[in-house]
Amino acid sequence: MTEYDQGAAAMPEFRFEPVVMPPAATGLRAEVRAFLDEEKAKGTFVATVGAMVAADPAFSARLGARGYLGMTWPKAYGGHERSALERYVVVEELLAAGAPVMAHWIADRQSGPQILKHGSERARKTILPEIAAGRCYFAIGMSEPDTGSDLASVKTRAVPVEGGFRVTGRKVWTSYAHKAHYVIALVRTGGRPEDRHVGLTQLIIDMKSPGVEVRPIINVYGAHEFNEVTFDDVFVPEDMTVGAVGQGWAMVTSELAFERSGPDRFMSTYPLLVEAFREVGGSPAPMEAAELGRLVAHLATLRRMSTSIAGMLNSGKSPITEAALVKDLGTTFEQSIPEITRRLLPLEPRAAGNGQAYDSLQQLAQMQAPCYSIRGGTREILRGMIARGLGLR
Amino acid sequence: MSSETEDMGVRHLMLRSLDRIVAEKAGHAVQAADGKPGFPTELWSALEEAGMTALGEENEGDLGLGNAAALVERAAYHTLPVPLAETLLARRLLAKAGIEIPDGALSVAPPSASHDGRAAGVPWASAVRGVVVATGPDILALIDARDVAAPGFNMAGEPRETIDLARARVIARARLADAPRVVEAEGALIRAVQLSGGMSRVLEHGLTWANDRIQFGRPIARFQAIQHLMAELAAEAAAASAAALMAVEAAAVRSDRFAIAVAKARTGEAAGRVCAIAHEVFGAMGFTQEHTLHYATRRLWSWRNEFGSEVQWQSEIGRMIAAGGADNLWATLTAHG
Repeated sequence: MTEYDQGAAAMPEFRFEPVVMPPAATGLRAEVRAFLDEEKAKGTFVATVGAMVAADPAFSARLGARGYLGMTWPKAYGGHERSALERYVVVEELLAAGAPVMAHWIADRQSGPQILKHGSERARKTILPEIAAGRCYFAIGMSEPDTGSDLASVKTRAVPVEGGFRVTGRKVWTSYAHKAHYVIALVRTGGRPEDRHVGLTQLIIDMKSPGVEVRPIINVYGAHEFNEVTFDDVFVPEDMTVGAVGQGWAMVTSELAFERSGPDRFMSTYPLLVEAFREVGGSPAPMEAAELGRLVAHLATLRRMSTSIAGMLNSGKSPITEAALVKDLGTTFEQSIPEITRRLLPLEPRAAGNGQAYDSLQQLAQMQAPCYSIRGGTREILRGMIARGLGLR
Repeated sequence: MSSETEDMGVRHLMLRSLDRIVAEKAGHAVQAADGKPGFPTELWSALEEAGMTALGEENEGDLGLGNAAALVERAAYHTLPVPLAETLLARRLLAKAGIEIPDGALSVAPPSASHDGRAAGVPWASAVRGVVVATGPDILALIDARDVAAPGFNMAGEPRETIDLARARVIARARLADAPRVVEAEGALIRAVQLSGGMSRVLEHGLTWANDRIQFGRPIARFQAIQHLMAELAAEAAAASAAALMAVEAAAVRSDRFAIAVAKARTGEAAGRVCAIAHEVFGAMGFTQEHTLHYATRRLWSWRNEFGSEVQWQSEIGRMIAAGGADNLWATLTAHG
């Protein structure tokens, strides 16, 4: 074998080219930062880890009033016709500040864009302006008691009836369903669970519909985010389908690049990193400097990869494997922050005084960390996707 | 927009042309150079004739830093035994100090390895026309060390020699503020780019091997354990490439120590994991010189230590952020990305 005879052309190459932020992004960043400083000064919120699962509807409404939600949507639907990159700036500033974004999070990131793209005109007109105003919240109904990573095995059934569907089934781990106005559920409109990807449809279900029941599922650290949602012969009007009947699977998989490469996939424990820097002070010990510096190097790199993907998405590309790489690296990174900082700054009981912020974030981060590499596709599922992108399966 | 497209076209042609030179002229050069004295003159001349050695963006007629870095990355992918990266680095540094740049192959002495009148770990010192050395806190010199270099090699068998500075002939000298720090950072940038190129080679080797090697009646690529290892390797290589690219862009327009620190810290860390995974996937075959994997992995193990290991650069980042205050971390990140 000689060293040079292998064709390099066939090799998968992941290049994370720079993204050119629109000129408006700089001013916007300063504006969002000033707003968040003001809110913090008023005591609206204290920076938390897992901002994505901290809800404050009043805060979400204020974001809506300032034009920070539904940013890229047409004005006709309550949007602001700004670029995806400007939206990226707003989102990462919110996460960096550890602001409570859960209430509007799913609606603004995922459900709204889906409705805009694949929803009926009535759904767009009635729902999108409310999301953009920060008053309308969504949950996502994918997992079921017997359906987790193997999403195509869903059993919840929607039977066609006059003017729509009747839905019967059960969804679990449905975050924020207890406060959400709607859930977008992946249901079976045709075929049997053995038919896998065929016959799946996404429906917008009004949580106030008769037959919808919500039961809390308390998570490992005692918080109520998850729910079990039961549908008992719930009527869903025909024009509340998202996309064509039977096309649910294609839609669920195509949107994942948006969901997997965003700053929420590596910023969950960022506020803990900030507090760790505060604790070590201006002249850190060598090990503190190296370990915290290592985390900063990871974060700067992840941010580059994520903004680069935002640029690819903005120009209409579909970087599925790249997005999976970012989520794999990103969740590993955000999980490592509590583990590394606790080696530097032991968590020991201490009386009131300095370090309270660090202590409470450290505890919450440790308990919350396992979910980062589960939600939105487990690490193992993602590595399988990356392997497919590499031509290994 | 059109000039950018044009630039990418030029780069593509240049890289293909490098691939061609490698195919025609490199032959067994990598093997021949491994741990042995000498200089692959024919290969170097081919690169020189193709205009690939006039590197350093601050000189008229030279390739821009982005193109030069792409070339260095590709040469690293090919594990070429030539001081192409060192020549680019030397030319950049000489241009910064306003010293006239000689033609031909050049090198640079890593400042952290200079003690007591001796510069250690100097690539190709006895074979190049000039070596750039920071001889004082604010002084950069170009010296001829051809007759005063003691042989030595890094883990990859690349020449890393020791110069007796008192006996070297000084070709030129000029003021350059913070010379040792500047040399260390520029060197780290170039090694980060090489690390990225070397990792793309290791990824390619690993993918080819996993798809070709049959065990239990099927390619080992079909095993989930192998798939997950390779996914992790690809993720580390991708992160390394992103970090290196980011630093090159930054360095092309300003002096950006933070971006360089991030690049060397991230590529150096990734290199360790990438080599470990590749050797795990290759089994015994990769642990021999029967396969060419070692040309890439031994370079990665060497380069991650040169011009500051990842730990040194991580520490610098940590100190930099700590000194600026915890609440300025985010502003620093957004200002550099």
